Amino acid sequence: MVTKMRKREARKGLLISSTYLIYAAIFWGYPFVWLVILAFSRWRYVGRPQFAGFRNFLRIIYDPIFWKSFFNVLNFLVYYIPIVLIFSLLFALALSKLKYGKTFVALSFLVANISSGVAYSIMFSKLFAENGPLNQIIYKLFNTTIPWFTSPQLAMFSISLIVVWKFIGYYGLILYSGIISIPKSIYEAAELDGANKYVKFFKITLPLLNPSIIMVLVFAISLSFGIFTEPYMITGGGPMRSTLMPMMVMYTSAFQKLDPTYSATMSIFIAFFSFGIIWITRKLFEREVEIV
Amino acid sequence: MKKINNHIFHIFMFALALLWLYPYIWLLMASLKPSNEIYTRFWPIHFTLEHFRFILESAEKMQRPFIRAFLNSLFVSVTVTASVVLTSSIISYALAKLRFKGRNKIFNFLIFQMVFPSFMFTIPMYILIRNLGLLDTYSALILPSLMSGWGIFMITQSYKGTPNDYIEAAKMDGATDLWIIFKIMIPLNKSAVAIVSLFTFIGIWDNFMWPLIVMKDYNKMPLSVLLASFNHEYGSYIGPILAGSVIQTIPMVILFLIFRKYFLQGISITLK
Repeated sequence: MVTKMRKREARKGLLISSTYLIYAAIFWGYPFVWLVILAFSRWRYVGRPQFAGFRNFLRIIYDPIFWKSFFNVLNFLVYYIPIVLIFSLLFALALSKLKYGKTFVALSFLVANISSGVAYSIMFSKLFAENGPLNQIIYKLFNTTIPWFTSPQLAMFSISLIVVWKFIGYYGLILYSGIISIPKSIYEAAELDGANKYVKFFKITLPLLNPSIIMVLVFAISLSFGIFTEPYMITGGGPMRSTLMPMMVMYTSAFQKLDPTYSATMSIFIAFFSFGIIWITRKLFEREVEIV
Repeated sequence: MKKINNHIFHIFMFALALLWLYPYIWLLMASLKPSNEIYTRFWPIHFTLEHFRFILESAEKMQRPFIRAFLNSLFVSVTVTASVVLTSSIISYALAKLRFKGRNKIFNFLIFQMVFPSFMFTIPMYILIRNLGLLDTYSALILPSLMSGWGIFMITQSYKGTPNDYIEAAKMDGATDLWIIFKIMIPLNKSAVAIVSLFTFIGIWDNFMWPLIVMKDYNKMPLSVLLASFNHEYGSYIGPILAGSVIQTIPMVILFLIFRKYFLQGISITLK
């Protein structure tokens, strides 16, 4: 009797989950196989893919535009990571010190996070425009204007700023939930030993926040490699290719130059780099944290 | 002294919060100003709805049917969200509460899937949709997102925390599995289900690169792609473009304000 029930339950479980397995086979497995096929072939959407060995990989290694886009991501990371990490940490600390209006402040910062990519790119391209409101204020104060999106040195910095605007609330709240989970007793014990504010922050808060900080770093790095909408909408990759991102290079080579094999191989490279940088970050900064 | 500092700190934080809201406020104001005042005044002499009227009426003649695009976006987002929530809540029940061989393997497969960034699948997914002959159809926007590994993962994690007693008791009363899922599991795991639906809805609404690739038909375009193409072709119509951006932003802001509790929970947090 019991075994019969068990069998029925097992059959049911397998039946229900197999719906997902079938779906995943079509919309995840099949594309995955195609990805591998594309990486090793020559094909332009017509006929049969021709085996090409490592030709695509070599083409990418010798392609200056690919490397340009890769270094642009690194350039973005150099601006984005320190700014977003420091400010979301400050935001999280400030939030834990607020006595009233906490929800209002948190929601004001978080509402930036739900902005739609296209709409917010348009919004900032107008706000930061040559004669936009921001430049008008700067002109009144300093009698000069800043070429936010038109100077090759500044364009990537401006894009990283608007992404910071979008994500600070989100990252800040992740860190904040880490801060409030640190037991008060640890701080009290430290105070008895005469620890001041700075010692408490650098010796208690920061080390115990390590898991949350790593989580934010992983999110931020993954996001950087997948950026497409902002540069596509605001700068189109310019000026002088300074904001050309890997996703844009992939998009143009697959759908304008009709070269899907090159694009697919490039996506493997980019994923590999993104894993690599995340792995290095973890190796360098991740600490085992135990709250006893 | 400490008290004054504390007040200054609070005022400073409120000012920062307003600064963070400023782009939204500016966007809304600009979409309601006459064209010649967009860059010249913050507070217009008089408000006007001309840009919205332009977007909703005249844009139709320029082959940019905004109302249709809005409805397209709504249709695709609602369909995908409904499907993801329905399939995730049922499949998660099997993964969390039914004992069968290979259950943990499937769960580990979900985690394995999440490791791969979505951009790796863009090109091969395009080829699949192309081979199925679905380019320029609504199916191209809906099918690739019908089920979500992340959604199943989230809801399974939540279901695992629900005690089995509830289920046993319901089974004693002769309840079917579907009844258990809809009357017990979903109500008890409301926040996980809400988080999955919200993030799915916003993700699809906001999706840009995928529909840009598979949808060339102006009548079936989601709002994000239509707005981008309008901005591209008619860049000088600043007022209407900003009005279009408002139309794309407002539904998300409304959703956010209604379900703010779940957003905060989604980031594993409750603000007291």
